[in-house]
Amino acid sequence: NVVNVKISILIISFPNSLHPSIFSAMPAYKLYYFDIRGRGEVVRQVLALAGVEFEDIRLPRPSDGPQWAEFKSKTSFGQMPVLEIDGKQIPQAFAIVRFIASQHGLAGATPFEAAWVDAIADQWKDFHTEFSKYLFVKLGFREGNEDLLKAEHGFPSRDNFFPLIEQQLQETGSGFLVGDSVTWVDLLIAEAVQVIASAEPGFLDAFPEVLKHEQKIHSISRIKKWIESRPDQKR
Amino acid sequence: FRACSMSRVFFYFFEILKYILPETMPSYKLTYFDTQGFAEVSRQLFALSDTPFEDNRLPREEWPEYQKCTPFGKMPVLEVDGQKLPQSFAIARFLARKFGFAGKTEWEQAWVDALGDQFKDYLNAFLPFFRVAFGTATGDLEAMKKSDGEPIRDNFFGILEKQAKDNGSTGFLVGSSLTWIDLIVADHMGVVEYHLPHFLDGFPEVQRVRRNVIETPKIKEWLEKRPERPY
Repeated sequence: NVVNVKISILIISFPNSLHPSIFSAMPAYKLYYFDIRGRGEVVRQVLALAGVEFEDIRLPRPSDGPQWAEFKSKTSFGQMPVLEIDGKQIPQAFAIVRFIASQHGLAGATPFEAAWVDAIADQWKDFHTEFSKYLFVKLGFREGNEDLLKAEHGFPSRDNFFPLIEQQLQETGSGFLVGDSVTWVDLLIAEAVQVIASAEPGFLDAFPEVLKHEQKIHSISRIKKWIESRPDQKR
Repeated sequence: FRACSMSRVFFYFFEILKYILPETMPSYKLTYFDTQGFAEVSRQLFALSDTPFEDNRLPREEWPEYQKCTPFGKMPVLEVDGQKLPQSFAIARFLARKFGFAGKTEWEQAWVDALGDQFKDYLNAFLPFFRVAFGTATGDLEAMKKSDGEPIRDNFFGILEKQAKDNGSTGFLVGSSLTWIDLIVADHMGVVEYHLPHFLDGFPEVQRVRRNVIETPKIKEWLEKRPERPY
């Protein structure tokens, strides 16, 4: 009576109460996010790396359909991504990722290492808050003066953040950001690097370890397979 | 950071000490400015757990020099037996997990984390208005209150109010005992109400959480003895 829930990329309309997982003994994992990489991508990748089968639910943008407006009131924080496990929700991408990663040995080998994973991730978040002021204009999601934003936000935030990552990789020497095995923050940083380097080739050339790290993480077999199967999106 | 060789000396000293005396409690040093800010939650975790720590409050003029010795150029920094850890929430979560204030199950821990990150998002949005309120930025306070302060407050504290109620109106945001998100929210409310009296009156469940925190004996004791700063 166990029905396997296959990894599937569905664009579905809401609600969907006849999911086959109601017959399953395994918990049913559903990840809700927009149909972009964005904040949801690291969650998808952690689930893929951990080998957790999940339903990858991608809601159209509000301008393209009512699904988000309808679902929003059912979320605890009015935001996505949301992970739903047997009907119970966890909001906030990093909280979701840490929850999954901790259960699958992807959160750091000791409490102190786990804290360093958290610290690098939070530092990335601070970087991204600044950098996205430039990046989102560069990628065409927002209006703005690209050159001005690059000078005011793009370069300074890059040059505050990536030297730290470069140094961290030099210090661990393992090819991973913390300890000597892959953690969720490796996925987070590699994803960010891929988005930035493809939006603007050469932008991170001053950080060779960072670029090597992105190659290494994206050649991990489960991640490589995930990247090959996901929709081709710039971010 | 590499030039900070003295911390390396301490690190190796403690490594040797740990080898000789495996049951030795780790030594903790928390460095931050002389304010509550992003360090207060961690100070309160030490107080709650009766764990001795060096509460290193750095004078402003020493910051440029000390900054060179920080992993990410920011504070707070926690040193555990000489090993450094940056980022306030990474520090708080590390201490909370060690001392038992992070949530009793993995699910509860995820919810504490989620509320923490939601708080951070809220604070980033709220600070431009709040800085005007406590005088470190200029602006039209009343206009900003209507356009930013109140809607941003209502969005976040509405979430907290519902969370506290759904959690059984127990005075805890998650589970049935204190977690670090209770401490963060209570501390933040104290700072807001100091500068904007009655601004948070409309959230009785969250006020219950705050009362619960500040009446917890070890927190009460800490609040009585800590240096009082405006934020």
